[in-house]
Amino acid sequence: MLKNYFKIAIAVLKRRKFFTFISLFGISFTLTVLIVLTAFIDKVVGDDYPDKKRDRSLYITSIEEIGKDSHSSSPPSYYFLNRYAASLKTPEKITLFSGFSGTNTYINNKKIAINYKYTDANYWEILEYKFLEGKPYTRQQIDNGERVAVISADMKKEYFGDVASVVGKYIEADNIKYKVSGVVKNLPITSYLLYSDIYLPFTVAKRDYKHKAYLGDCMAILLAPSKRDVSKMHTEYEQVVSKVPMENGQFTSIFSHASSYIEGYVDTGNEKSSGVTIALSVIGGFVFLFMLLPTLNLVNINITRIMERSSEIGVRKAFGASSRTLVYQFIVENIILTLLGGLIGIVLSLIALYLINNANLIPNLDLTINFTVLFCGLLVCLIFGLLSGVYPAWRMSKLNVVTALKAQ
Amino acid sequence: MYRHLFKLIWNKRKQNSLLMSEILVSFLVIFAVFTLLVYNYQNYRKPMGVDYENVWVINYDGDIGIKDNDSINIFYETLRRNIKSMPEVKEVVFSSNNIPFAPVTMQNGFDYNNKHISHVNSYTVEDSYKDVLNLKMAEGRWFNKTDAVTRYQPVIINRSLKEVMFGREGAVGKVYGEGADHNKKQVIGVVEDIKFKGDYAEAGYAHFVRADTASFRWLSRMMIKVTSGADATFEGRLYKLLAGQMKNSNIEIEHLANKRKNINYFALVPMIVLSIVSCFLIINVALGLFGVLWYNISRRRGEIGLRRAIGATGKSVSSQLVMEAMILTTFSLIIGTFFAIQFPLLNVFNLSAGIYLTALGLSVLFIYLLVMVCAFYPGKQAAAIYPAVALHEE
Repeated sequence: MLKNYFKIAIAVLKRRKFFTFISLFGISFTLTVLIVLTAFIDKVVGDDYPDKKRDRSLYITSIEEIGKDSHSSSPPSYYFLNRYAASLKTPEKITLFSGFSGTNTYINNKKIAINYKYTDANYWEILEYKFLEGKPYTRQQIDNGERVAVISADMKKEYFGDVASVVGKYIEADNIKYKVSGVVKNLPITSYLLYSDIYLPFTVAKRDYKHKAYLGDCMAILLAPSKRDVSKMHTEYEQVVSKVPMENGQFTSIFSHASSYIEGYVDTGNEKSSGVTIALSVIGGFVFLFMLLPTLNLVNINITRIMERSSEIGVRKAFGASSRTLVYQFIVENIILTLLGGLIGIVLSLIALYLINNANLIPNLDLTINFTVLFCGLLVCLIFGLLSGVYPAWRMSKLNVVTALKAQ
Repeated sequence: MYRHLFKLIWNKRKQNSLLMSEILVSFLVIFAVFTLLVYNYQNYRKPMGVDYENVWVINYDGDIGIKDNDSINIFYETLRRNIKSMPEVKEVVFSSNNIPFAPVTMQNGFDYNNKHISHVNSYTVEDSYKDVLNLKMAEGRWFNKTDAVTRYQPVIINRSLKEVMFGREGAVGKVYGEGADHNKKQVIGVVEDIKFKGDYAEAGYAHFVRADTASFRWLSRMMIKVTSGADATFEGRLYKLLAGQMKNSNIEIEHLANKRKNINYFALVPMIVLSIVSCFLIINVALGLFGVLWYNISRRRGEIGLRRAIGATGKSVSSQLVMEAMILTTFSLIIGTFFAIQFPLLNVFNLSAGIYLTALGLSVLFIYLLVMVCAFYPGKQAAAIYPAVALHEE
């Protein structure tokens, strides 16, 4: 039966090549855009290098102070996190690290821009950076205030050129020489929480990193002993924050949350507007509008094509085929068409992703089709086929035998 | 004739309603894209307001570990003298960190004559700011040494803020604010708009406050105007000088021209991506429309043949078909315009009505053109139908 439908579908596709082209163009192009979009989102928020323990981690990325006429928000300070987050009971480990900021260095009359980030020792235990050579700096080295650094592979190439090993060599940044203790795999800048060119211990910071203020440029990752404890950890931090005394009389409330990676990633720094809601509605709206147009287009074309076959429908109905069988047949045909478009779409998206990766729009952001994306794509294809097939098939099945046959 | 066409459309309302909704949705998509493009283009056409070539930005940490105000001032004055003594340096200015093309915003509200204006950018700058960035004054003067001791706090506003606050009358000399005299502000000059957020962003409202001796505690940006011959070797020397003097601070030197490029990138990338995507969408829709219209005409061969047989010219047949498509489009556009017009009426996204109306006009024109092009070829095909052949088929 299915084999028969398949044969008919192919025959119909061959009959009106122009219409087939329009349908396939619409489906494959729409699918390409959706696959590129999902590949991008998947890479930006779904890539778990280097924070592989994301499912049992919570991120503290911002603090907000609100008063009657004033409102300020920024990442919290080392002082705040060290005092209120580091004392939590539930987490197994906690790491504090600063956001990245920029500085320069000059070698051989060439300027190199460097992004640096301060971390503690736990940072290297919680996050599983891939060390291409060397190892992270130790707690001992941090406590001694040793000038040591972990650098990214890109930085190694830019500063030292093509040399085999740089561990033990010195890199100058911000007018200070740091001894390289390890080289890690590159991160794209889109993982902005963890991205940096060089990583330094807090204790070598030029400014007083323990400065007493709530606002600063520090972030924290709390690691729970197991997935079950994550919500407990969340609640514990909420309770601690609710008891934090106001920094001064200007403010009446303080907000800071330990949230999952995605919530932390799209945090707007405003208690009233949730970043997740905004991101979801923007992406949802885009996808909806974007799919609505090709779907309408396909429905239009499908109706035209089905009406063209009214005599076939009439004959089949006259010989006793029920409406249901006919609807079933046309939906199957349509799904075959969309799957064919889907295949072309996947090929097109491979080409598009290749072009995007080669253009190197964002360094180190290598987009790939992975199984999630492929699955999303196929699902989208099926929904597409159903959406654009059901209405025409329903219209067709209501066709009267007499009119259908008379039309010729 | 039109009544007849309406009747023809009404008879096939079910099929036409789908076509109409397709045109409607494409109109809305096109409207959104045009709004973005018109907005960006209008901003792009306005002058930048600053000279960014050969201006370098130095980021440092404001907190240098000195407590006493006088000592802080002496420290920064020495630093300024040392930088200025380098032959490549023309001028130096200290500023709050919302320098041009930086993603930092500091805003507050403004009250004058019971009128409240919110989102006014506030910049704390020094006297040499105008020379470093080569600002143009529209009215009055820039800050100078005489502003150190005044009855009211002297401020300079930009043209946009002046127009919304004082209208056509002159702004110089106006006093606003509440409380004691030293809390009130007096406008001493109006500066031409500066596009602080890059080529494609609005200038917005801006007011400039003169940095006083207490400001050095928190200022954290320097901008220096260098000669065109300044290169990386000089930059390295400058860097060493700064790092040697400000031992407690991290230092970064950036070029204003590069910062402009980076911030423009954020406006350009979404624009390019949206344009490419909508371009493909339009091709998709155009092909679809074309196919459906074409098919409809081949189904109406009998009707067309009959019309030709009783004397209609080929031209009138094809124009009838194009007109039908245009009337259909007009229906969708009326509905679409109803939705689109809500944007300026409800003042969504705070864009001026002019931008929405231009975008609306452009998208209406675009959709008409699109449908015309799609209907033209099928119309011509219809005109080529021979009555004898068409009627013979029946």
